[in-house]
Parts: sequence; C-alpha cells; structure tokens
Amino acid sequence: MSSVHELLRKGFAALMPLSMALSPVAFAAAPGPVGEVSQQALNPVAIGMFLLFVLVTLLITWWAARRTRSSGDFYNAGGQISGLQNGAAIAGDFMSAASFLGITGLIFLGGFDGLVLALGAFSAWPLMLFLLARRVRNLGRFTFIDVVSERLERTRIRLVAISGTLTVVILYLIAQMVGAGKLIQLLFGLPYEVAVIAVSALVLAYVTFGGMLATTWVQIVKAILLLTGVTVCAVLVMYHAGFSFDTLLVEATAAHPRGDAILRAGQIFDDPVQVTTTLVAMLFGTLGLPHILMRLYTVPDMVQAKRSAFYASLFMGYFYLALIVLGFGSVMLLYGNPEFFEPGGGLVGGGNMASIHLASAVGGDVLTGFMSAVTFATILAVVAGLTVSGAAAISHDLYAEVMCKGQPDPARELFLTRVTTVTIGVIAVVLGILFQDENVAFIATMPMVVAASVNFPLLFLSLFWSGLTTRGAVIGAVLGLVSSVVLIVIGPQVWVSVLGFEAPLFPYDYPALFTLPLALAACWLFSVTDRSTRGTKDRANYHALLLRSEFGDAASSAADGGEAVAGAPAAGGRV
Amino acid sequence: MNDSDRLRAVRVRTRRRMVFSLLVLTLYFSFVLNWTEAGAFLARPLGGTQVTGSLVMFVALILLFIGLELIFLWFYRREGSGDE
Repeated sequence: MSSVHELLRKGFAALMPLSMALSPVAFAAAPGPVGEVSQQALNPVAIGMFLLFVLVTLLITWWAARRTRSSGDFYNAGGQISGLQNGAAIAGDFMSAASFLGITGLIFLGGFDGLVLALGAFSAWPLMLFLLARRVRNLGRFTFIDVVSERLERTRIRLVAISGTLTVVILYLIAQMVGAGKLIQLLFGLPYEVAVIAVSALVLAYVTFGGMLATTWVQIVKAILLLTGVTVCAVLVMYHAGFSFDTLLVEATAAHPRGDAILRAGQIFDDPVQVTTTLVAMLFGTLGLPHILMRLYTVPDMVQAKRSAFYASLFMGYFYLALIVLGFGSVMLLYGNPEFFEPGGGLVGGGNMASIHLASAVGGDVLTGFMSAVTFATILAVVAGLTVSGAAAISHDLYAEVMCKGQPDPARELFLTRVTTVTIGVIAVVLGILFQDENVAFIATMPMVVAASVNFPLLFLSLFWSGLTTRGAVIGAVLGLVSSVVLIVIGPQVWVSVLGFEAPLFPYDYPALFTLPLALAACWLFSVTDRSTRGTKDRANYHALLLRSEFGDAASSAADGGEAVAGAPAAGGRV
Repeated sequence: MNDSDRLRAVRVRTRRRMVFSLLVLTLYFSFVLNWTEAGAFLARPLGGTQVTGSLVMFVALILLFIGLELIFLWFYRREGSGDE
C-alpha cells in the first residue's frame, strides 16, 4: 500500500490534466497513477448487455430514420422533443464516461478534491437556464452560430464561429475516440482498432440515418441506464455502510493511505489559482460547447428550452451527489482488498477502473457487466452528439448560410449533411488510431478552454451587450483561440509532458482564467473603437435582436415596423 | 404590449438574470475558499461526525443552485407572461 501512496503523490500531476477535461481519454489514454492500464478478460455479461443496448438503439434509429426527411429533422429532430426528454438527453450527452469513471477515480485517489470537477460540470446548468436557454432558443435555428451571426456581419462572424466549433468538436472527438478505444480495450477485452471502428460505425448508423431524433433517444436511453447503474451502486454501497453516511466516511478514512485528510481539500490541488482556473474552464467551457447548445433547438419553444435546462440540472445534480457515495464507497471497499490490486500495488486496470471494481465488489459480475455496457453506451451517446454538431457546422453554417447565403437547396443540404457525417466518422476513426499511442492530455483540455474563450464570449456578448461589433467579435474570438492554444502548448501538458522540457513556461493546465478575460477585453476594446459603418449597423441591430430574444418573432415584427417575419428566426428580423 | 413596454420588461428580466447569475457565480467561486487559509474552518468535522464543512458545502451548493433555478422559473410563472 505504501507504493500506492508514493504513486499518489507523483501521479497527480499526470492525472489531473487528463481528468479535468471530462472526457474518457482523460482516464484511459495514459497510465493511471495507481497501476498500469491493462487489458481485462473478455466479459460475456458486459458484451451481452452491450449487444442488447446496440439492438435497442438500432431499432430506435430505424424508427427515427423514417421521420428524418429534411435538414431540420436532421439537425433538431424537427423541434418535437419535450423539455423533460431534452433534459434527459442533455444529461445523456454531457455525463461522459469520465464523469462516472474519472470523478469516482479521483475521489478514490485523492478524496474531496475530486469533487472540484463535479461542481464545475454541474454549475454551468443554472447559468444555462438564467442566461442562455431562452435567448439562444428564440434567436437560433439549428446552432449557436445562428445566434452570434444574427446582428453581426454574417460571413465573417460565421467563419470565426465555425472555426471555434470545429476546433472544439474535432478535439473533443479525438479525445473521445482515443478514450473509447482504450476503455473498451479495458472493459471488454477488445483490440483498440476494433473498438474505435465499432464506436464510429454505430455512431454513423445512428446519426446518418436517424439524425438528431435517433441521437436524442440514444442519449435518453443512456442517461436512464447510467442513472440506474449509479443508483444501484450507491444503494449497495450504503448497504455495506449500514445506510450511514458517517460510517461510510469513517471506514473510507480508515482504509485510505491518507486517512481523514481525504475529507479535506488539498490532496490533489494545492494552489487556489489552479482551482479557480479549472472552475472557470469547466463552467464557461460547458456554456460554450456547441453540441450541448444545439440541444436547445430540439424543443418546440423557449418554455421547453428552459425546462430542458432545469431537468438537465436535476438529473446531473442527482448524478454528481451519488458520485460522492460511489467515490468514498470505492475507497472503503477497494483499499485493503488485494483482489483489486496488482502485485506491484497498483489498482488493476488503472485508477480509472475504481468505479468498475466497485460495481464488482458490491454487485458481482452482473453489475460489473451492466456498468461496463453503460460506459460503452455513454461513449456512443457523446460521440453521436458531437457528430451531429460537427455536421451542422459544415452543412448548415458553412454551406447553407455562408456559401448559399441562407438559400440552399434543401435536398442538397440534407445530402451534404449525411456526407459530412460519414466524413466526420471516418476522420474520427483515422485520428483515433493515429493518436492511440500519443499523449493526448492536451487534446482533452483544449475543447473546454477553447469553448470558454471563443464560443462563450461571442455568445454572451452578442446577447447581452449592445456595443458589440463584428470587428470586436472577430478579433476577440481569434485572440481567445490563439491564446488558448499558445498557453496550453507552453503549459505543463505539452511543454513538459509531450515536449519533454523540465518546467513549463506557463504553470496552469487550464488557462481559461486568463484567456476568457483576454477575449472579453479584446471584444470590448475593438468594438468601442470601431467607427466603421458596419459597426454602427451592428449596434443598431441590437434593439430588434433583444426584443426577439425575449418575445420571439412577434416582437421583431413590431420592432421592424410591423412587417411580418417569415420563416426561421435566424433568417427573419434582421435590421 | 407596445415596444417601450416590451423594452421595460426586457430590462427587468435582464436585471433578474444578472442577479441570479451573479449569485451563482459568487457561490460557485466561494468553493475556492476550501484551498485557502480563510476557509480553514471548512475542513473541520461537524458535530462529532466525519462529515466536514467542505463536503456539506459541496452538497449545499448543488441543492442551492437547483433551488435558485426553481425560484427563477417561479418568477416567470408569477409574471403571468404565459411562457412559464
């Protein structure tokens, strides 16, 4: 156990950058601090349950395919999803394998500090409800880029926002695919390449044929399975602790090498600035994730959009609270049980397997198989959401809105959407295989930082600040993107872990505390100094946008002097 | 409702959004206290149990945020704006 203690100290620096991105790669792409990643024996229960999940989701896809006839159906499921369904789908989209495996693993290793990520992931949802849900739903049609281009010069701002979106989607996708390959290798005993191709093939089937409708129901089924699995695990852990939370903590602190220190802050993070910058990246990054924002358009109106955000909060709040029980339960039941440790002292399969071993400890092979299948389902749901978002950025935002100036041929657009989806699937497989032996920690970090530093400032300022101009938005977004990439490259994850230098030039893994204010300040400075005709027009457009963001299309009709606004919100009401 | 009434309503709603958001942000970043000297009191166990103030804070923040969301939605319902 002393070697576990040693590794605990040495391994955190390597583990944390990976874990914070809330992507499966975080916990699988590199050896965990407690034990090397090793392939598990083939688990027939897990494979059986997973095949059942695949069968159900393919049936859903077959059903959805018959209802997906237009690009609108493809991008937003025809706007027919209810608030409750969409809340569950958002939770299914957002609660990644890393939330389940990674946060539990971090609590297993370092106790309370693992909860930083849980709080960061959860707390974006109240802000989504307060700030974004209504206005984003009212102003956009398929993607958040519809919103940011609403009152600014359409081509330039769309190109910048598409760059931000594709950067986030592709990096997130690489992280997911590498994580998927490693995790499935661990959980099912399948070869890495087979796992990556299987994930991509299934996702392509869901998305290409069933579009957002199939994706939504895959995410809903996954959310139900994940919440069920977590609940069963938590109840069984509490059973072992005599249904006393205090007993759970007493036994956990008795078992952990660090004793009751795991109930206090400071085992993983020792710098308040590091905690703050992580919290900033998690919070504002979530608010800028394109595949999450896109879900707000799958509901029929703003009321359902707000309900979606609220229900998503409820599901995720419950999930992250249950992870406390799972995390400390894994400490209580795994430490001291040689069955779960390698002869060298590391946890079998690596630190990220703590929750799977916990399932084994409390529920035997059946629960382990179930949780393994849920983990695979989780990856599929997240990758499906990313694929739809990437396809929409290219076929809707780039082709339909920029190249066709908002007047595309519908059949051609739908065809292009499907071609784009297949292309993204192929790219995901190729990149997943290319990056399999690379240290991809920085790839898992970047999406959250880029989303926080590019997408969020654009979205927030275009909705809440009348002074924003195209020039300010473009310069601010580009600065946010460049500074994010540069600071990550000279930070610990690339400068030290990848490039091999002794010390980083920038000390923090998540630079969002610095890049977000920089992007906001640049947007402000280059907007207030903008004396161009375009700038004047951008400012003047805000009035109509503001009314429509709150009251929908009827308001813009009034603001436009009573002219009817026909068609989609994104196309109407431009002044 | 004419245009100026709508604008007045938007201003009220925007102010409300900002108040709720600032409240969430303040509470959220207060979590950093756990890693500072000023927050040392949070590390103490409560009432003869192993439960620390830090753990209580985590749970309380999640529940509080959900409560704030409910209050926010209730404001819209009370407004009778027909949208919530």
